[in-house]
Amino acid sequence: MNMDIMAATQPVADASKRLIGLMSARRNLVGAFHEIWDLLGLRLAPGEREAWAKAALQLVDVNAGPGCLSAYWRLSSECDPREGLDYVIEVGAIAADICRHAGARATASVLKAERDARVRLVQSEALVRWWRAMARLAREAPDCVEPLSQRTSDALASASIETFEQFVSVGLKKSGKDRAGRRAFFALEDEIARQLVQGDRNGARFADEERDLNLFLTALWGREPKLRALGSSENGPRPRRANIAGSLIRLPEHLPDVSGETARHFFRASAAHASAHLALGGPPFIVGSLRPIQVALVNIIEDARIEALAMERLPGLRSLWAPYHVAQARDGNTAEAIMARLARALFDPAYKDDNGIVAKGRHLFEAARGRLADPDISREIGGLLGNDLGQTRVQFNAKAHVVEPAYRDDGMGLWDFAEDSRAASETHEIAIDAARMERREESDAPRQNDPSGESHASGRAKPVTNDERGIVIARYPEWDRASGLERQDWATLRELAPSLGDPRRIESALAETGSLRARIGQLVRRARVGRPERLKRQADGHDLDFDAVLDAGIALRTGDLPDPRIFRSSGPGVRSMAVAILIDVSESTRDVTENGNSVLDAECMAVAALAEAMKALGDPFALMAFASNGHDDVRLTQVKTFKDAYDRDAVSRLAALKPALSTRLGAALRHAGAVLDGVASYRKLVIALTDGEPSDIDVHDPLDLVEDARRATINLRGRGIDSFGVVVGSSAGSAPAIFGRANAMPVRRIEELPQRLSELYFRLSRR
Amino acid sequence: MNLEAYRIHDVPHYHSTADEIAIFEAAYASRLPVMLKGPTGCGKTRFVEHMAWRLGRPLITVAAHEDMTASDLAGRYLLTPDGTVWQDGPLTLAVRHGAICYLDEIVEARQDTTVVIHPLTDARRTLFLDKCNEIVPAHKDFQLVVSYNPGYQNAVKDLKESTKQRFVAIDFDYPAPAVETEIVMREAGASKDVASRLVAIAERSRNLRGHGLEEGASTRMLIHAGRLVGAGVPMAAAVNSSIVLPITDDREVRSALSAAVAACLP
Repeated sequence: MNMDIMAATQPVADASKRLIGLMSARRNLVGAFHEIWDLLGLRLAPGEREAWAKAALQLVDVNAGPGCLSAYWRLSSECDPREGLDYVIEVGAIAADICRHAGARATASVLKAERDARVRLVQSEALVRWWRAMARLAREAPDCVEPLSQRTSDALASASIETFEQFVSVGLKKSGKDRAGRRAFFALEDEIARQLVQGDRNGARFADEERDLNLFLTALWGREPKLRALGSSENGPRPRRANIAGSLIRLPEHLPDVSGETARHFFRASAAHASAHLALGGPPFIVGSLRPIQVALVNIIEDARIEALAMERLPGLRSLWAPYHVAQARDGNTAEAIMARLARALFDPAYKDDNGIVAKGRHLFEAARGRLADPDISREIGGLLGNDLGQTRVQFNAKAHVVEPAYRDDGMGLWDFAEDSRAASETHEIAIDAARMERREESDAPRQNDPSGESHASGRAKPVTNDERGIVIARYPEWDRASGLERQDWATLRELAPSLGDPRRIESALAETGSLRARIGQLVRRARVGRPERLKRQADGHDLDFDAVLDAGIALRTGDLPDPRIFRSSGPGVRSMAVAILIDVSESTRDVTENGNSVLDAECMAVAALAEAMKALGDPFALMAFASNGHDDVRLTQVKTFKDAYDRDAVSRLAALKPALSTRLGAALRHAGAVLDGVASYRKLVIALTDGEPSDIDVHDPLDLVEDARRATINLRGRGIDSFGVVVGSSAGSAPAIFGRANAMPVRRIEELPQRLSELYFRLSRR
Repeated sequence: MNLEAYRIHDVPHYHSTADEIAIFEAAYASRLPVMLKGPTGCGKTRFVEHMAWRLGRPLITVAAHEDMTASDLAGRYLLTPDGTVWQDGPLTLAVRHGAICYLDEIVEARQDTTVVIHPLTDARRTLFLDKCNEIVPAHKDFQLVVSYNPGYQNAVKDLKESTKQRFVAIDFDYPAPAVETEIVMREAGASKDVASRLVAIAERSRNLRGHGLEEGASTRMLIHAGRLVGAGVPMAAAVNSSIVLPITDDREVRSALSAAVAACLP
């Protein structure tokens, strides 16, 4: 088809016109471009093709070069025309971003690699995440984009996008300033890199079993265990045994060779053993002058002692542990084998072994059976046996020693290597906890709109890119107090894509507040019942409706047909309430309170507790976080829309909120109102959770924003939406002025926030 | 009206765990209303039966439920060919003729229903029937007993403060292991070995209260399990059917509880 004819038959919009113009000047591209342009003309509506042209122009505008552009044409032609359009357009934008950082050659390579990625990942969501991961790489390690894209098939061997994202994160973190090492990593020339891309398809993860283990151990011992994952340290070997540190039980994060029931069984056996130490063991042993081989033997005796005690109470534990005792007399007489045989001999009465040390150990242990509760026997017997074993001159390498059977912990937690036992174990615990927090933050999925991450020292000074400010979703008027008029379209609201945090942070914080949860749960149940309504003239019911009976009696006597509906009953009232919750995430919420949490943490906790309640009640609700950076940049993060379910993803979006910038309350309130307008509900509420006065960088008189917010709430009330302010801090400040005295609730002690917020909600829902 | 049908003739076995019998007798001596608090299946109903037998009073039991109205307690007009006729409800029956009226799980009833007992539970000791405009003074032997499961998370709704404060309360909980073993042995005809295993299993499940289970296994459940074992069902299967499966629908909790149960069985 000829260009001119097309232009005559269809109105050609700006971007299309520009693209056609630019392409007709490029000799080496014009042919290929016509092909794709005509093809898209057949497949797409004019508006859609215009959108595509815009995306293509982004690439042209970053000087993407012919290789890139023709690869993009090809990708566009290969994608499903209707469903794939959004994807194609998004790819255009991301590819332009990659090109900006890593250059045209790398981008062309990625565009070509997309074909391999599509084979592996299939779903377009996963593909988009792959693109984003590549874009992240382009920003942080531009030289690695090309090598990695050439190995795309191998890098996606696991066919799991999570594995790939993890791989990119690890690669960026691992190499630091070592550019050559980094290149080798992303070219998959590095052993760790190759292992990483394989993913852990065949393994079992502690995280999957964590809840099960928590419940199992709680049921066994009547107290909640403190379980942690034990990951491999930097360059260290993969941990193979559980470990006890203070009151923490740490289990291997990942078991590579087992899965399903076998893995669950192992985790349970291991956790049951370690928890038995904590429940039944004594204070740590002092190492003193013991040699390593003696320490190892004391461990074996102590393990046997603890297990014997545990099995007295819970005989079924034997069948949990027994499958792992597989040592046999014919395993040989190395120190390792003898220790495993001794462990089995002490555990399994039916096991026969005539090795001198094994037999002696068994004999001594049986002799001490009367005083099993005394931890000293482990020390005594272990010391003796260690001496004997030492004298046989078998080789014992304490560093390479791995405890057998496999479910037992490494024994280090039973010993006190320092002078001051208590302080040491506590410090240990704290250090581990701290390390854990760090790791969690690092392992977050790559933040979609955070171009550089914290690893770039220069990141802070970077100019704000368009991307980061989010998409403009609305403009709202703002009240100008000085001139007494409403400035139209003054505040620009941008939606920031939410990032994902670790939901377990909030979950565990909630789990710790059992009484609060119970209290909210009770309020939920009370509210769920609703107010009963009396229903008259019913076909059946608990009571006669005397008016109806009289009418029926009269009808009978006058020969009419009586109405049989002569009963009264009561039915449950109907709940219909929609709530939008605004969470203030301005910089001031970073303040740390007495108990070490930030104000934002407390806000998130409170919101999570309330959200659980609202979910239980089935009330529709939305959660939005807001912060602002001047009137043209009010940022809104949708943690949960009215349509989303409140699920673990929503919790992780909540957990990912970070304090930044200022508080432009009025715009947020107006937006909440606009969102609520689209929801069908009898009652509508906006609850704003904030830590202080409205303020922003471009407003010098704080009263301006107070007045604006007040006008916003008045406006909402006019539309039948009630707004409430929950203010964290010593005084309610301007909240009574904004929301009205009855609708402002100051919360002086931040610990009370979750409870007060929920109570407010239930009070409101009763009205 | 003859309340013979409501009398209890055979001794309902009850194993006293504290001073509850003495307190109940003292309360009955002054006809004070009594509230029995405690988790489900710990013996509240059995205790009331036992006390009714001990005191020689008929016992009228009403299981409260969400749709229960004041009419269900006090009575209502019924239609006959000649017009309407008043029919006493169970509470009115007990008030007129001097029985112990036991409202089981009173929190299940709506609050506007429970207020009908208010004039009965203070110095007035009268029941007002608004439908027929009658004031029924309580018989001298009448006593009101309610049971109430405050449960860690189990209260469907709370009692009104004005209702709560009218009662003498007796707190029940699952008996100590030794006593519970004895109860299971007696009620289920189980051997000491079986009974003590069941009690150990119950302890595991009660450990999960508030961690995925709303309530642990009740003594009643143990008795059921004991009876299944008595009927020849293997222990593990009996416990699974009578404790693990009924108590939770959460797969993970069930799996963890099964593992903990297995740890109690040889």
